[in-house]
Amino acid sequence: MSSEVALLLSAALIASVIGALFSRSTSVSLIMLFYSSLILGIIFATYGGIVSGLVHIITFAGAVSVMLLTVTLMTGESKLMIGSFRLALLLSVVSVPVVGAAAYELLQGISTSQSSVPGVSSLFQFIWEFRSWDLLILVMIFAASMTVIVNLFSRKI
Amino acid sequence: MPSDQVIFTATAIVLAFLGLASMAYSRNLIKTVMSFQVIVFGANLALFSSGIGSPQPYISQTFVLLSIFVGASVEAVALALIVTIHKKYGTLNPWEIRRLKH
Repeated sequence: MSSEVALLLSAALIASVIGALFSRSTSVSLIMLFYSSLILGIIFATYGGIVSGLVHIITFAGAVSVMLLTVTLMTGESKLMIGSFRLALLLSVVSVPVVGAAAYELLQGISTSQSSVPGVSSLFQFIWEFRSWDLLILVMIFAASMTVIVNLFSRKI
Repeated sequence: MPSDQVIFTATAIVLAFLGLASMAYSRNLIKTVMSFQVIVFGANLALFSSGIGSPQPYISQTFVLLSIFVGASVEAVALALIVTIHKKYGTLNPWEIRRLKH
């Protein structure tokens, strides 16, 4: 793996963290923190820690983000009014075909996929039958589309 | 061009300082928890980068997993405390909470 990839991922991570910490809107902070969790998980998965990356994404981008969102909504710190309706509609129209294409690509690749960890067998074999990159890209696209959908339905029309 | 390990270690240090700065700067307890999460990210990245290029990277990855679970547990407890504080004082500003306490 070249150093340019490391620099790019690090820059993306720092930019998303700055956006999360120094944004005035709690909604934007939550979304940027979610993306920084995803980027850190991608860094782990790219540099050999596939299990660490997936556990990181599941724990922080999944559980902790939902907890933060729940507490934010319970305390009334955020109204989740982000973006405009037209932009959200445009993004959802773009993201749905991309998710469909990624899912089609994943389904096509299952039959030809190779096990990335030859030594791991039996109990967790089903995990390694999927290619980790496809799974991560699918998680990223799904998260992005979910953000768009939350944006879409949070707007009072 | 610096190596991947140097880049990730520098990123981890930047993340930790950003989290500390935001924790000192913020006047909202939810933002404080977010800052803590960023510090945990920095710690995880530092632990992970220490194993890059090592003959046994699984040791550092095991510590990363441990750090992930401990960090998530601490955040869950902190969020529960935030809900309790908000019910009792009606605000999440630490200075305001200190003023209302006296």
